[in-house]
Amino acid sequence: MFIPLSWLREYTDLPAASQEVADRLAMLGFPVAHIVKRPHITNVVVGRIRAIERHPNADRLQVCTIDAGDGAQLTIVTAATNVAAGQIVPVAKLGAKLPQTTIERRTMRGIASEGMLCSPDELALPPEWFEADGIMQLDDSLPLGGDAVTLLGLADDVLDVEITSNRVDAMCAIGLARELAASYQLPLRLPSFENPGGEVSLRARVEIESDDCLRFVAQRFENVRVGTGPARVRVRLALCGIRPINSVVDVSNYVLLETGEPLHVYDAAQVRGGTLIVRDARQGERLVTLDGAERTLGPSALVIADAEGPLGLAGVMGGERSEVNDATSSILLEAAIFAGARVRRTAQLFSLRTEASMRHEKSLAPALAEIGAARAAHMLLALGAHAGVPQVAGSARVQHQAIALMTGEVERLLGLRVSAQRITDDLVALGCTIAQRPEELSVTPPPWRNDLANDADLVEEVARMEGYDAIEAAMPPIAAPEISSREYDVERDAAFTMRALGYHEVITHSLQASAGPHAVALRNPLSDEQRFLRTDLAPALFARLARIGRPYRLFEIGHVFSREEGIVIEVPLLAFAFTTEPNDEPPWRDREFLRCKGDARELLCALTGRCPVVQRAERPGFHPGKCAVVLVDSVEAGAVGRADPRVERASGSSLPLYLAAVRLDRLPERALPHYRPASRYPSTYRDLALLVGAEVSAQSVEAATAQAIGDICTAVRVFDEYRGPQVQPGAKSLALRATMQRFDGTITDEEADAAVTRAVDALQKQLGATIRT
Amino acid sequence: MPGFSFAAMSELTEKLASLQQRLARALETAGDERALEEARAVYLGRSGDVAAIRRSIGRLPAQERPLAGKEINDAVAAMEALLERKREEIASRAIDTALSERIDVTFPAPEPRLGSIHPVRRVIEDACAYFERHGFAVVLGPEVEPDYYNFDALNIPPEHPAREGFDSFWVDETLLLRPHTSPMQIRTMQLHRPPIAIVAPGKCYRRDAVDARHHFQFHQIEGLLVAEGVHFGHLKGMLTGLCRALLGPYQNVRFRPSFFPFTEPSAEVDTTCPKCGGGAAACAMCGGSGWIELGGAGMVHPNVLREVGYDPKRLSGWAFGFGAERLALARYEVDDVRRFIDSDPDLLEQLA
Repeated sequence: MFIPLSWLREYTDLPAASQEVADRLAMLGFPVAHIVKRPHITNVVVGRIRAIERHPNADRLQVCTIDAGDGAQLTIVTAATNVAAGQIVPVAKLGAKLPQTTIERRTMRGIASEGMLCSPDELALPPEWFEADGIMQLDDSLPLGGDAVTLLGLADDVLDVEITSNRVDAMCAIGLARELAASYQLPLRLPSFENPGGEVSLRARVEIESDDCLRFVAQRFENVRVGTGPARVRVRLALCGIRPINSVVDVSNYVLLETGEPLHVYDAAQVRGGTLIVRDARQGERLVTLDGAERTLGPSALVIADAEGPLGLAGVMGGERSEVNDATSSILLEAAIFAGARVRRTAQLFSLRTEASMRHEKSLAPALAEIGAARAAHMLLALGAHAGVPQVAGSARVQHQAIALMTGEVERLLGLRVSAQRITDDLVALGCTIAQRPEELSVTPPPWRNDLANDADLVEEVARMEGYDAIEAAMPPIAAPEISSREYDVERDAAFTMRALGYHEVITHSLQASAGPHAVALRNPLSDEQRFLRTDLAPALFARLARIGRPYRLFEIGHVFSREEGIVIEVPLLAFAFTTEPNDEPPWRDREFLRCKGDARELLCALTGRCPVVQRAERPGFHPGKCAVVLVDSVEAGAVGRADPRVERASGSSLPLYLAAVRLDRLPERALPHYRPASRYPSTYRDLALLVGAEVSAQSVEAATAQAIGDICTAVRVFDEYRGPQVQPGAKSLALRATMQRFDGTITDEEADAAVTRAVDALQKQLGATIRT
Repeated sequence: MPGFSFAAMSELTEKLASLQQRLARALETAGDERALEEARAVYLGRSGDVAAIRRSIGRLPAQERPLAGKEINDAVAAMEALLERKREEIASRAIDTALSERIDVTFPAPEPRLGSIHPVRRVIEDACAYFERHGFAVVLGPEVEPDYYNFDALNIPPEHPAREGFDSFWVDETLLLRPHTSPMQIRTMQLHRPPIAIVAPGKCYRRDAVDARHHFQFHQIEGLLVAEGVHFGHLKGMLTGLCRALLGPYQNVRFRPSFFPFTEPSAEVDTTCPKCGGGAAACAMCGGSGWIELGGAGMVHPNVLREVGYDPKRLSGWAFGFGAERLALARYEVDDVRRFIDSDPDLLEQLA
């Protein structure tokens, strides 16, 4: 919200520096997004054009005689065409500083000009909102000769203040001034909230047919002249970023910014039957709103209507039918309070968000209605209107409940010792009324505050007044809680293990464009590119590897989602993938697969303390012949392998892709390793070369060998495989080494040879192997 | 060994002297250990010259034999000393040679084998480590959450205007992608008895337009401490410590009043801009304000404590929710939050 400092200064004597006020507002909970600096303007006064003559030597110039107050007269030559005798205008005297220029004595075609009449542009106001064609027009509410810069607030900076949704009371000049005055402990000068209306013959009539209208003040005004509003009002609106419209609409916008109460003005002549009715819209009713859109209504919308039909959307926007225009002479003013939720629903229904709806949505205090009407009445009277008696409808004014505040609560929650007297002073400064008992205050919040409901709310008020800076930082006494960090520990250890294995971590989008049949869709995606929750981490890793275009290793830890039988299943997954230089390995061998498998094994060993079992398998996304699953404690913990060639091609990668995916939720707790002393006796080994069928797995050869050798076997490892001209088709040659060792003595050659004989025998019988010699 | 026969002591002495001279000459050209061994075999070996002389001692008169034995032993000792001296000389020459080697130590090392941790995880990890040092547990939770945990239980009933501040992605009528990590407050308190001391890092989602500072997907670090006697000062203390742990020992932390339905009093938390140290007018990191916004914090609202069956009169607590990307941007001086998701090797390796 833009608020000129000059407006706040009207209510309280603030420090001169804008930054100081902005800092104070921030520490009160109203951060200033930025300070709109106003230019330095001096020596511009309010003047009246007494007479105009044509310049004797120039067709385009006119010579004005100006009353500049206190009998001073100035002769000013102007090229403007919108000037006329009697006008009140801003006059820059000699020496005046304007944003673009300094005024000096100039002789224009033989006549000395003693100043300049100012256009809106020259006063740093948007000309399209003012007199675009020439000199700015002031009015006789300003004293002749008065300092226009001060009177109009032209040089005071404007603050762009952010206001949290609970403080709708501060979304106005008076609200912010009230906060600042309380904080600086300064007196607050408020305008009169008494309604000056009273011509009994002018009655407004209201009927409330909905519980969502809490309060409705209607007031009739006659003898209204719709025209250009007073300059002071127009300038303030413009500095707040609101375009001046006409004298009547400007009043309603001004009161909104001044008090926070949204008003609406109806052309009384257009209100059929003379009564304003608040009711649910009827199905199919039509309304043309002020933005020119024709809207078809239904019962969920709350409207203000007359005998003929809807006049406007309650709390959101008025309608064209009753819009005030130049011919309007009699108006009905609405100052109402609607239920916030109802206004929000109505605004959402029509995708309308207005200054009024923004405030109503946050639930305004009922007391505001009368204040808004009173302020508008003062301004309209000053414009010459006659005011009727304000007609108040709706529930009686609800007094806030008193809140009990134990004074000890302040210290308990803040860790800041504040005396009961000080607590009282802080709350009174904010408008609370307090009845004091020992140890406990009975605090009644001021009528304009809707956000104070319990003692914690009051503690915050005390904290704001004392300043959060006053609270000293301390370290809490914490008893170590018995809450497990296991899931996090697994993720962290997994990440650091992958790093050690040479992989780089990425964080990719959880939302994606396409997905399979079980994907979870969003109801309100930002775009079709982000319509589904990811079901897999691999595609994003592949896409990045394809983009990188050189051998690289990536991993990601993240959740994947699917819907099974209507239930959303969410699983924490770790995926790693890498690209390699293209290799020309025979179709029966893939060393990069082994590397991939090895990395998965190291990861799982690190996380679980167990050595995973690897089994051939087929899984979607993987090459059907180069894929395996890894099992930990017989539970399938993940899959590794080369990417399916079709997936690889679709990813755009020119390099081979390898992938592993691990279900972090399926890993058992890490088993503690137990130390087993090594044998003190030397070990021995025997190498074997076998011929087996191509389909016989290395794992089965190792297992059969180990079993046949028995207890003395410490390791069996297949270390070479060969297929080709040296062996017959359908067979392969394997080389393996068996290592043997005893704990109770040195193993003898005879013992080792006998063990190997057993192994050879078993391999022949179980796997049909023959020994190559 | 023929040729080595003698009849008198004088002849023996002469022969031994000549052997020593020949060995000395042979060693002059010996350049390594193997040459030494060869020379040793020729002169002192089992079938070497000295052994042959020793074998022929028997031909001397009996009374001269002891003297002859002594002469031979002396000669052997002298020749061994000669060999030893030479061995020492060769070894020391080898060391001198080794010491004279000079390589280009600036020649590039092989490519690094270590991978990297994502900078956002690094921030989360360091933050969690800080809290773990102070006795907090780290808990994780789902990203798809019912509205009950996201809103209702956090004192944000339906129709509450604050729900608009969390512009969320909805999966169905009641399920949404969590717009903050605060659901973990409720889940933890419902599962455990106080005292509670947890941090809960994780992904969150909001329907924010993507720009240099915002993304619809981001990470929060949530913290919650509930126990008797916990107050706002402790919040300041812990968060000041956190900022110093993450951003450096001179960080200051500022608390500004704010509004969140689930805390009261509430605060926005800022820390001094680590780039300019606060107050450089043209700082691109903080926009000249000197402060970096970290997120929200406050004392847990009594309604939230009541919702989980805790007594707000006996227990008090604080909670905070910081943006991990915000911290990472400030910590690593990254100019655009989108870089964290693009994850170019360049960024990953620089911030490894």
